[in-house]
Amino acid sequence: MAIALTLAGTTDSGRFLFELSKTALFVLWLSLLGCAVMCLLRSRLEGTGKTRAFVLSFAILLAMCLLLAEIAYQLTRIFAESVIIHDSHSGFLFRTFMVSAIVIALGMRYLYVASEWRRSIVLEAQARISALQALIRPHFLFNSMNTIASLTRTDPRQAEEAVEDLSDLLRANLNTAKSRTSLKQELETAAIYQRIEKLRLGDRLRVKWDVGDLPMRALIPSLTIQPLLENAIYHGIELLPDGGEVTVTGRREDKDLVIAMSNPVATGTERSKRGNKMAMSNIRQRFELAYGGRGAVDVDDGTDRFTVTLRFPLEKDEV
Amino acid sequence: MKILIVDDEQPARDRLRQLIDDFDKYEVVAEAANGEQAVRLAAETKPDIVLLDIRMPGLDGIQAAQHLNRLDPAPAIVFATAYDEYAIDAFEARAIGYVLKPVRRERLASALEQAARLAAGTLAEVAAASHMEPRRQHLCSMSHGQLKLIPLQDVNYCQADQKYVCVHHAGGRDLIDDSLKSLEEEFADAFVRIHRSAVVAVASIERLEKTPDGKHRVILRDGSQQPENELIISRRHLADVRRRLKGG
Repeated sequence: MAIALTLAGTTDSGRFLFELSKTALFVLWLSLLGCAVMCLLRSRLEGTGKTRAFVLSFAILLAMCLLLAEIAYQLTRIFAESVIIHDSHSGFLFRTFMVSAIVIALGMRYLYVASEWRRSIVLEAQARISALQALIRPHFLFNSMNTIASLTRTDPRQAEEAVEDLSDLLRANLNTAKSRTSLKQELETAAIYQRIEKLRLGDRLRVKWDVGDLPMRALIPSLTIQPLLENAIYHGIELLPDGGEVTVTGRREDKDLVIAMSNPVATGTERSKRGNKMAMSNIRQRFELAYGGRGAVDVDDGTDRFTVTLRFPLEKDEV
Repeated sequence: MKILIVDDEQPARDRLRQLIDDFDKYEVVAEAANGEQAVRLAAETKPDIVLLDIRMPGLDGIQAAQHLNRLDPAPAIVFATAYDEYAIDAFEARAIGYVLKPVRRERLASALEQAARLAAGTLAEVAAASHMEPRRQHLCSMSHGQLKLIPLQDVNYCQADQKYVCVHHAGGRDLIDDSLKSLEEEFADAFVRIHRSAVVAVASIERLEKTPDGKHRVILRDGSQQPENELIISRRHLADVRRRLKGG
């Protein structure tokens, strides 16, 4: 940077090295001090939010450059002949101001892009792991196998259907390469899941689907509705002696689709809450990756019902 | 040998019954769909072995086992679970019988063969190790062959009456087999001893009142069953009761 500045500023090639050393010294001062100040203020700036942190650090750095330029100017005036700085006082300050403003802006832009890029890599990795975690719970798999083992004697036909359903479900789960799937597909997967659980839980499991108004071609991150249903059953229905009704409602709101899943909960089941939080953060992560700030996963943890509401934008061509 | 099957899922019960029917020496005497039914049926049918699912609504397997353990004679218990690594680790460590779902015939045979009564205290250890509620959540009353589970939060106080202990709770009064001393120990953070013959649930105490003759007595939140001259706090327990009421 010092070299660039010197090259741009000097016409006399004989004075190049002399000018370079001067400029380099000045630039070094500025950058070192800038880094030091930013490091010191870091923890405070982090708490203020992205935009404010940017504006603040930009202002602070710029003020610091100006201050240093002034000090440098005064020092050279006092201790050395004024040859070191050729400019007039205001000219020197102005030049320093403009050059540092541009450099700081470029630098911050670079750092911002780099950090966003890093963040997106982390997010993506997390989403991949989440997708893996969203794979069917072992609890479900073993219980289903047990059910099928039982049905092979009592009702071979139903056992056959259960095996087919379970295979379809596993296939949908293995298909994690596709990060999005159509709403129709996703609802179908959830329905298959419901059929298998119904065999096990009988009349205790009741699900009311009210999703007829949703555009079935709309895309949704794959494996969101089925895991929600799984949660509703695992943490809700299974812990109620008489079971209960899970309700799934979907509607359009302007340009958004809103899908809500609600299940009754047993009172005083602290133990179940932990696992539920994990599953929720999993879906949240994948929503953030898919929609950024435009999607939302809201949880209403009431005393007798637990409700999750998914909100995500509808793309134009999906209507 | 008589077996009681306990599982909240019909197909799971069917499966166990199918397998047991294949064995000659065992006979299924009853099936229960939840923990409460299990304890009641066990008291009635006196099975030798209870096959007990762990994850059940209401009274779960571990809790039910704690009540089963108090029956006389106490049945041997074999747990059944689909997947619960913590519980399985705990069973392994303490040589408690269990089978994994889907249940394998040979595994079930050997688990039934080795089924043994659980030593007292073992279950509490298992519960703690598998992050389950280590304490009973109900008191269990047996009267005229009828079993009744009284939720702990409904209990106001327990009073010793010669041989028996009488539980006064939101739903009335019942006799239980536990001694005051064991109740006081098991539910140390919920109950407080006020007298040689009474423990009171701290949560149901409204305030303390001074009687005309200079003694102190407990006033319950649920005033309806407040006896006239009962729940007198003996001198040696007064300081302790006051400390507990302050949340100490």
